[in-house]
Amino acid sequence: MIEEYLLQGRNTAKPSFDELAAPGGLVRDHWKKLAHAYDELGLDKMEQRSREISQELRDNGVTYNVYSDPDGINRPWKLDPVPMVFSQQEWEHIEKGLKQRAELLNLILADIYGERKLISEGFIPFDLVFSHKGFLRQADKVKVPGKFQLLQYSADLVRGPLGKMWVLHDRTDAPSGAGYTLENRAAMTRVFPDLIRENQVRKISSYYQTLKNTLTRLSLQNKENPRVVLLSPGTANETYFEHAYLASSLGFTLAFGQDLTVSDGYVWLKTLRGLEKVDVIVRRVDDVFCDPLEFMGDSHLGVVGLMEAVRQKKVTIINPLGCRILENPGLMAFLPRLCRRLLNEELILPSVATWWCGQEKEKRYVLDNLPFLIVRSIYRSNENRPYIGSELSKKQIEDLKKEINTRPYLYVAQEVVSFSTTPSLIGNNLEACNAIFRSYIVADMEKQEYHVMPGGLSRSFPTKGEFIISNQSGGISKDTWVLGPSPRNESVAPVNQPVLRQLKNVLPSRTGESLFWLGRYLDRAISNVRMMRIVLKIYNERDDEVHPETNQTLVILLKSLSALTGTLPGFTAIDQLKLRQPEQELLSLAVETARAGTLAQSLQSFLSNGYAVRDRLSLDTWRILDSISEEFELMKENGKDLGKIYHNLDQFIIKLMAFIGLNNDNMTRASSWRLLNIGRFLESSVNTCTLLQAALANNVAPDVEKQLMELVLMCNESLVTYRYLYRSTLQMQGVINLLLVNEDNPKSVAFLISKVDEHLAHLHNGQPDGGLSPAQKKLLEALTMIRLCDLSQLMASGNKKELSDLLGRLIVLLGEASTFIFENFFSPTQSQYSFVKSNNSLPEL
Amino acid sequence: MKFRITHITRYEYQLPVSLCHNLVYQVPVNHSFQQVDKVNYNIQPAPHFLATREDFFSNKFIYFSIEEFHKNLSVEIKSEVEVTEPVWINTVPKNTMPWEDVAIWLRSSGAGSDIKQFYLESPHISFIPGVKEYALESFTPGRPIMEAMLHLNSRIYNDFDFTPGFTDISTKLEDVFLYRKGVCQDFAHFSLACLRSIGLSARYVSGYIETLPPPGKPKLFGSDASHAWIALYIPGVGWVEFDATNNMLVNTLHIRTAVGRDFADVAPLKGIVYSGAGQRMYVNVDVSRV
Repeated sequence: MIEEYLLQGRNTAKPSFDELAAPGGLVRDHWKKLAHAYDELGLDKMEQRSREISQELRDNGVTYNVYSDPDGINRPWKLDPVPMVFSQQEWEHIEKGLKQRAELLNLILADIYGERKLISEGFIPFDLVFSHKGFLRQADKVKVPGKFQLLQYSADLVRGPLGKMWVLHDRTDAPSGAGYTLENRAAMTRVFPDLIRENQVRKISSYYQTLKNTLTRLSLQNKENPRVVLLSPGTANETYFEHAYLASSLGFTLAFGQDLTVSDGYVWLKTLRGLEKVDVIVRRVDDVFCDPLEFMGDSHLGVVGLMEAVRQKKVTIINPLGCRILENPGLMAFLPRLCRRLLNEELILPSVATWWCGQEKEKRYVLDNLPFLIVRSIYRSNENRPYIGSELSKKQIEDLKKEINTRPYLYVAQEVVSFSTTPSLIGNNLEACNAIFRSYIVADMEKQEYHVMPGGLSRSFPTKGEFIISNQSGGISKDTWVLGPSPRNESVAPVNQPVLRQLKNVLPSRTGESLFWLGRYLDRAISNVRMMRIVLKIYNERDDEVHPETNQTLVILLKSLSALTGTLPGFTAIDQLKLRQPEQELLSLAVETARAGTLAQSLQSFLSNGYAVRDRLSLDTWRILDSISEEFELMKENGKDLGKIYHNLDQFIIKLMAFIGLNNDNMTRASSWRLLNIGRFLESSVNTCTLLQAALANNVAPDVEKQLMELVLMCNESLVTYRYLYRSTLQMQGVINLLLVNEDNPKSVAFLISKVDEHLAHLHNGQPDGGLSPAQKKLLEALTMIRLCDLSQLMASGNKKELSDLLGRLIVLLGEASTFIFENFFSPTQSQYSFVKSNNSLPEL
Repeated sequence: MKFRITHITRYEYQLPVSLCHNLVYQVPVNHSFQQVDKVNYNIQPAPHFLATREDFFSNKFIYFSIEEFHKNLSVEIKSEVEVTEPVWINTVPKNTMPWEDVAIWLRSSGAGSDIKQFYLESPHISFIPGVKEYALESFTPGRPIMEAMLHLNSRIYNDFDFTPGFTDISTKLEDVFLYRKGVCQDFAHFSLACLRSIGLSARYVSGYIETLPPPGKPKLFGSDASHAWIALYIPGVGWVEFDATNNMLVNTLHIRTAVGRDFADVAPLKGIVYSGAGQRMYVNVDVSRV
């Protein structure tokens, strides 16, 4: 395999640097062991390992989102089985270079938001800073105590044709990828444990430990037991998976903007039990989205008043707001001089050749050489895509020239670098792909120096020469192996680390709300699936078109389905059109995502709420969620075939039940588990009442009634229990007793209500005013109604109206209880408004 | 000239607001030609938290939050300010530097970034097509900067209609230029766009103008609310203020509260509220001689 790879390299016309192949077709020293191992394995086994890696990542639920693509949510993360490899010797150089660069950027940052001497002395041009949108005037003179202003830093490195490592980008705002790096390493360790051992691959855990230490030390107010939250833009963000993953693996609370509030100058986390003070915020929200009061007024991702809390030193944000100024590629041109001025050293890691157009000479060079350069805005954003000179038309070149002449200081041009290639497994072939490596650096507060992760996130690109590289535009990730023994001082000593203490209840209200809805949609989906299975079973037994007069059982079932799913009138419509030809409506109830009440909608809401509380669920639970999601996709593909959908329904039941089982098994009996169950049992009790009312509270012929009773019991998984208890034919009183009244039956409404009450009592425990909460009062009323009702009397009349009324009353009470629970625990939905509002459109001239 | 200024902003909300955070830029500051004697503020309901801060441009602002349900918000700032005749009143316009020389000087190391920063684009000011050409009609080659500026000031006054309600703060400069209508902040923004597009440093000034005219004089535009005008940097003189809305060189009728790159830096009252519905705002400004 390696021989072919080397051969391939010899045959390419344009010789570029290859990570594995040295000139003359030899394998580089630090690749020898690995190359040998790959040869031993052979391509087939490599491919198999690659599949194992994919499986491992899928099992761990590692995903990312693509914004522009409606199907881009939860894409599986891809990992090349062949890593990026650095020798011990080379790594020492890179590590030294990265530390130096971090030190340098830190000093520049402190100066830009401090005295700005570097500007007045001419080391940094004024407009390079002042015209950059990352220069936040609101953050001027706001310092994090101590020497570190830049706390986290990432550099994207590439290797040029001569083998030198270059810095392509500096990432200083909220660099992503450290969570994926950890998952990549975990997957590689599972699949290639021997290779990792034999090659002495350095561990990367020291980075995460250092990060954690640093974050806990950054607390300004509460040194003893600081609360650290990870602020995520939300579940739709490109790297949401990683936010949830990092938060749960580092032991921090995952929060969205709406979970936090500023009061009395402090930042607070809204939890189920009230407000909890926040000391440190690790932000994955871009700078100007963080506080709508002081930055972008229409941002809903941030926390109003956050900047003021920072000013008052009540909270520390990592990275501090304003760090984005360092992502300015125009700075790269000035770094060598700045390094000599600030550190008295030569810059170890050069940047990709960069011309900042704010200088006359450089601008002229750029304008004369546009077709050979890449032009970027100094401010990176989705709107500011780079211009690739060689791909521009004449007209585009002219427009670009005009733009550069108008605002020269906003543009840099960079050399088109041809990156080094590295072997990647593409299909069943080892191919040379371009690679880029992202490093992770964090301030070590203990040692007062920067710590560089001995590894990182590499990405390779099948299309050669591809220059613009991001997760959004594809590419495959690679683990990064730094070879050699660990330096002796690497182990991070947990000196002075606060003793690990259990923090009391830290469930953000929003998370609580999601858990509640997760529970509700879970049981809604289950009851939908069960009912639909029964309906389809009976529907398939009919001979031809449905005749409402003769197929009475089916008609009642169909109507019950409309009632249960809340999609009225549906089958109850007076024209009976849908009743006669139920297929379309049944398909719609199964797969139509956009329609409220359908199975598809319940499943989708179940999945999205599950996704929002990812950090609260165990790994195995994620796997089940993912497999439900896969089944859901299958069902949507089967969209027009009721037979196939029937099969999907069977699968859903198994998977949803597995979800319940796992959560019962491994979720700690904390608030989160209780809220999930409150949601489930409340939903289940309402559904049972609805079903009983729709299917059994009708006056029908005895044989139809019998059939319906059997089906309702089946639907409720209680047929066996009934037979065991009564050992007799089906009688209405017995069925109602079992499903409504019998508190020993875990499926009965009375049992479910008492469970909801029990969980509520636990949640209320510790709240000041004892007594029953409004929700509990409603539940007690419902429960008492059931307990006091005299079934024999209720049934005696033969008329089902009284039964129907009772059930109707219960449904109302349960709905009221739900509303009270909502008001009690979760923040009411309120919109955030800015005083300055946008205008109506202007008249035609 | 001594003035007493009362600036009242009232918000009425359709539904109670549970939480609001605000920034107020309505506090006059000491200035070369302006002495602040007294400032009082009264915010209702009483804020839970209030802090007075200084921003990047050395303006004073108030940050406050109200953390209880309220249906009305009222911010009242009262101040007494003494305004003296600015030095530029005695500057002879035709003796000032040719404007091109000013632009060149601004790009030299002689000018500090505190001055340079105001020749760059800013949130509301961009180099839109046509504006430079409009400016160059006044800024003819070699013309003394102040003379050219006075010419531009009167052209804007004549070419643009003062039309309250036609624009608001989200109206694009392109539309102000296209329709030639607006209020004082549009006039100021347009002046800034003209000046910056030809490489000069100019900044936005917000404040007030005397409300009750002296007997026999007409009431000036912008007097029933806060006012806005601009300051142009003229080497040797400093920041010289021009009011295009009233076609005047600023003298002793203007009281300054804040300077910035444009409105975005110094909006008189910024706020974020949490509420279920909309709001109505009333502003009342009174400026009278003491």
